[in-house]
Amino acid sequence: MESASVAAGAHTADDHDHHGPPEAHQSSRIDRQTLGILLFIITEAMLFGAFFASYFFLRVVANEGSWPPEPFELPVAVAFVNTLILVSSSFTMHWALESIRAGNKRGLQMGLVTTLLLGGTFLFIQLNEYIHVGFSARDDAFGSIFYGLTGLHGAHVFVGLTLLAIATTRAFRGHFGSDAKDHLGVEVPGIYWHFVDVMWIIVFTTVYIL
Amino acid sequence: MIQAALVRPGWWRALAYFLIGSGFGFALVIGLRAIAGLDLFQTEQTGYPHIVVPAITGPLGFLVGIGCFDYWFRWASGAPTIPDDHADHGARTWRDYFKVNTDHKVIGVQYVCTTFFFFFVGGFMAMLIRAELAQPGTQIVDPGVYNGLFSTHAALMIFVFVIPVFAGLANYVLPLMIGAPDMAFPRLNALSFWMLPVAGALFLASYFVPGGAFDAGWTGYAPLSTGAPLGQSFFNLGVQFAGASSVATALNFLVTIITMRAPGMTLWRMPLLVWANLSTSLLVVAATPFIAGVQFMVLFDRVLNTNFFESAFGGDVISYQHIFWFYSHPAVYIMMLPGFGIVSEVISTHARKPIFGYRLMALALIGIVILSYTVWAHHMFVAGMFSWLRVPMMITTLLIAVPTGIKIFSWLGTLFEAKIHLKSTAMLFALAFIVTFTIGGISGVMLGMIPIDIHVSDTYFVVAHIHFVLFGGSVFTIFAGVYHWFPKMTGRMYDERLGRVHFWGTLIGTWGTFVPMHWIGMEGMPRRVADYASEFGAWNLEISIAAFILGAVQLVFLYNMIVSWRYGPKAGPNPWRAKTIEWQVSSPPPIFNFDEIPRVVGGPYEYGVPGARHAIMAGEKAEVKPPERTEAGIGAAS
Amino acid sequence: MQGVPYLRLLGLVVALTVVTSVIMLIPDWNGEQASTAAPKIDQLLDVAIILSSFVFSVVMVMLGYSIHRWRARPGDESDGAPLHGNTRLEIAWTAIPTAIVLILAAYSWIVLDDMEATASNAMPVEVTGQQYAWSFEYPDENIQADELHVVKDRQVAVEMRALDVLHSFWVPEWRVKRDAVPGAPGSGIDDDFVVTPDRAGTFTLVCTELCGLGHATMRAPVVVHETQAEFDRWAAEQEPIPPEQPQPAAASSA
Ligand code: HEA
Ligand code: HEA
Ligand code: CUA
Ligand SMILES: [Cu+2]
Repeated sequence: MESASVAAGAHTADDHDHHGPPEAHQSSRIDRQTLGILLFIITEAMLFGAFFASYFFLRVVANEGSWPPEPFELPVAVAFVNTLILVSSSFTMHWALESIRAGNKRGLQMGLVTTLLLGGTFLFIQLNEYIHVGFSARDDAFGSIFYGLTGLHGAHVFVGLTLLAIATTRAFRGHFGSDAKDHLGVEVPGIYWHFVDVMWIIVFTTVYIL
Repeated sequence: MIQAALVRPGWWRALAYFLIGSGFGFALVIGLRAIAGLDLFQTEQTGYPHIVVPAITGPLGFLVGIGCFDYWFRWASGAPTIPDDHADHGARTWRDYFKVNTDHKVIGVQYVCTTFFFFFVGGFMAMLIRAELAQPGTQIVDPGVYNGLFSTHAALMIFVFVIPVFAGLANYVLPLMIGAPDMAFPRLNALSFWMLPVAGALFLASYFVPGGAFDAGWTGYAPLSTGAPLGQSFFNLGVQFAGASSVATALNFLVTIITMRAPGMTLWRMPLLVWANLSTSLLVVAATPFIAGVQFMVLFDRVLNTNFFESAFGGDVISYQHIFWFYSHPAVYIMMLPGFGIVSEVISTHARKPIFGYRLMALALIGIVILSYTVWAHHMFVAGMFSWLRVPMMITTLLIAVPTGIKIFSWLGTLFEAKIHLKSTAMLFALAFIVTFTIGGISGVMLGMIPIDIHVSDTYFVVAHIHFVLFGGSVFTIFAGVYHWFPKMTGRMYDERLGRVHFWGTLIGTWGTFVPMHWIGMEGMPRRVADYASEFGAWNLEISIAAFILGAVQLVFLYNMIVSWRYGPKAGPNPWRAKTIEWQVSSPPPIFNFDEIPRVVGGPYEYGVPGARHAIMAGEKAEVKPPERTEAGIGAAS
Repeated sequence: MQGVPYLRLLGLVVALTVVTSVIMLIPDWNGEQASTAAPKIDQLLDVAIILSSFVFSVVMVMLGYSIHRWRARPGDESDGAPLHGNTRLEIAWTAIPTAIVLILAAYSWIVLDDMEATASNAMPVEVTGQQYAWSFEYPDENIQADELHVVKDRQVAVEMRALDVLHSFWVPEWRVKRDAVPGAPGSGIDDDFVVTPDRAGTFTLVCTELCGLGHATMRAPVVVHETQAEFDRWAAEQEPIPPEQPQPAAASSA
């Protein structure tokens, strides 16, 4: 996300009224953006960790009866279909990235748009589930943590979609190329999107299946 | 004119966007409530969504307005990125310090000044606390205000002083030390900084809302916090901004350290300050989200009436403490490890010796990082948590003394056969730190022993421990660091005589204030009380007097820094004759740090080793040539 | 490293350890002792003080000697000796503290188990904290009171309740402390404990968990009776627990 100042070193040569910084020495094989997003994902995973911790305290420590507690029921089937939708979006994301690696801009655009649509569908179904699930975040700690975990994840889907929307806009303006450094703007949101997917599988397994 | 001011990033636009953001949040809440057919204003004690939501959107508006996001918005919209002309890099006048700037040196100074501002505000609250406690009974403030005072005191000191001031000092020196032209993500760095004043302002703003400042302690335990007046929401939000700031900085440090070291700077040639910030950043990245998460849950319980901590509806009260301490214990090392780094730099430089056992020093840091994730429940020995968890936590807690001890002993080893220069205030603070922190650590070990903790938990013994490790530990290292790098940052020398006055006053004040707290704690004085049994009156009076002395000498420090910054004698590039790279460039350093990246050829502390070099600077062949761009630095302000 | 009087320094460490320990052991830091746990905890503290005095003396002697001996003369611009480390020394200062803290941990564990051993004749008491008062129920006697009355040398099995927020039970002379947690009794919350008072008299129960405006004044008298008979006499004068007491909201988790 931050490539400009790195790139800045490159065009200083023909800049006359000021001096740019010297190019930093690259002391690791991994580039900054990728490392940055990986570390950010650790942070994000830990944020989920806080909510998972709460989930297990509520479920295992504070709750004595069955889980979900008596009157509550979760629409597992719908959520399962939704899971399939989100997981398939990881594949389309991969397709987008592979396309631009091969220099196929059309494939990149199509891949991103499909991913966006799948992600949007996921969010839409999730919202629908909230409307029909029959309980709210105020109904018992179970309701709170259910909405807490799925809502936190939903917020991440939203952020991921925003990043992808940016990448898509730029893809249609032809900003990306096949060189690794020319499509970081796809690769980095892509890593994030895969993370959102994997996180959903964990959330889904914990909340709906276990 | 006005129009232009509102378009350009800056304070006018920040004000405008702040108002727009707040107005938007307000309208959003009122609008949604109107649609849902609810009362427009929910003003039960904890609710107030029409204030809480603007307290999020307003600050975000401020950040947009001041200009933190301009570049990213342009980039995100797919507009061609304009070539960077470095207009936002380096400071030419003092006004540049009040703008969004992407130069790590400017950001470092911004950080240090802002955090010290909060130090004085937090210290002022401590003075009020001590004034109230000077005598039994309530004289100056009522218990409600008192609870607000120590809560805000601690929140300011921890979240917007100690944690970020270390980030600020490292921001300034770390890229220089590793031979990098800047941090890895300069714009993110600027955003990190600007979130800080926002966090501090939110904490302070809580004084002006109905019900007064947040008053559930800096730990904000549920369910006291979930039922507390509106101010508590400002704590929840302030912590989010401070936490986001510190996570962003930690990411930035990690990426910078991993990918931007100068050629030849292997891991085992990094100065220990770099190692310390590497370890700290690992802690921040993995622990801080926990406090963010738990403060969100409290906020939800308060504003949305969820039941995370509502025991009547299946919530679990103690889970708050587990999640909170899973962050906040590592946080105490977040507040100490960078200080360890500073002390290593200061001691080796002013004792003219290589660090004794350098590798073990670095490994001890990593050991502390790992161990500190395994000890959180030592804050909960009497909390009614699972009793089987206590003994394992006690053992890990006590084991932390081992890597910490390695550091203490290695510093002492460094002093062996050294040339110890006591003239420098930085060195005095570093040496005093060793003594004071050892005492604070030992009281920590006692707290870690369950039967003792059962007796002294939540008493002044703990308050004594807190201040011995945080004031005698962290803050002493902060002072050492500020004095040590003052010449580098400002290009001028501070007054060593005033420095010594500050040092001795602080040392005596600290001991006079915090030593007797151990005693009254063990005898039976609980913490967080505005009033206490009269048998503790005499010691409390003594403590208050010592605290006022301690407060007064901080004004000497303030005077010394401000006056020396303006009028101090010019400092050369390397007044301490240190070996690390930041001292090999001018003071203050050139706007882009280096014309060419230096080459590292040896360890950072090879004092006394004939012919040893740490780094070869690019301009070295033409050493006579004076560095040309010094006037762009801070010195220009004077 | 010639010319360093190691033996004398060692002697200094020992002497300083002894002096510090002796000075630190004179005062009764924790005040009066009035339960069987108190002397055990105080003894543990004494051991901790002695070992800490040793650690502290080592640090002080090393630091003091170095400053005294190797202080740079004004104008001396030379460097110190380029020592980079000493593996044996480094092993020693890793191993010795490890041993010390493990000893402290083991001893603490023993004391803890000892303190928490339950007796068969314990008297159950339910202690309830609410903003800002304590109340006590005696299920065996079926009475309630707002003072805590117990019998000397008879173990008390305290069950903690909180009606609103966290509170904490502390009688400094007994050296016991435990939080009262809303929602208890319930699984996962372990806020019950035992204590055996061994001195008759009147003490004060202090709330030590921040619970709001009245936290500082949330106290209750604690009376330790000399004999069971004396206690029974007091008990006979107390109000019975009302039979159909509405369950506090906190206890009826949904
Ligand atoms: C900079 C911050 C900092 C640091 C570094 C520490 C360091 C330690 N702390 Fe502290 N602590 C706090 C800040 C800090 N603490 C705060 C703010 C609280 C209160 C929070 C609140 O409730 O508000 C707290 C509370 C606290 C408690 C809970 C008390 C209670 O509420 O009941 C405990 C209990 O175990 C504890 C233990 C320790 C230990 C074992 C260390 C160890 O890391 C210390 C290790 C260091 C040494 C031991 C000295 C040097 C070592 C040697 C010279 C080697 C040889 C030593 C021996 C063999 C003993 N701390
Ligand atoms: C880094 C952290 C830090 C620092 C530096 C300090 C510094 C000080 N603290 Fe604080 N303190 C905490 C962290 C810290 N504290 C924490 C975490 C708690 C626990 C809170 C809780 O229970 O939730 C606490 C609680 C606490 C209490 C216990 C309150 C209670 O339990 O009831 C007391 C009481 O004496 C106290 C006193 C002091 C004093 C006298 C100082 C002195 O060192 C301050 C020195 C003074 C100054 C630096 C100010 C100088 C300024 C002036 C003289 C005025 C000039 C004014 C302007 C220019 C505006 N602190
Ligand atoms: Cu009850 Cu404090
Ligand atoms: Cu801790």
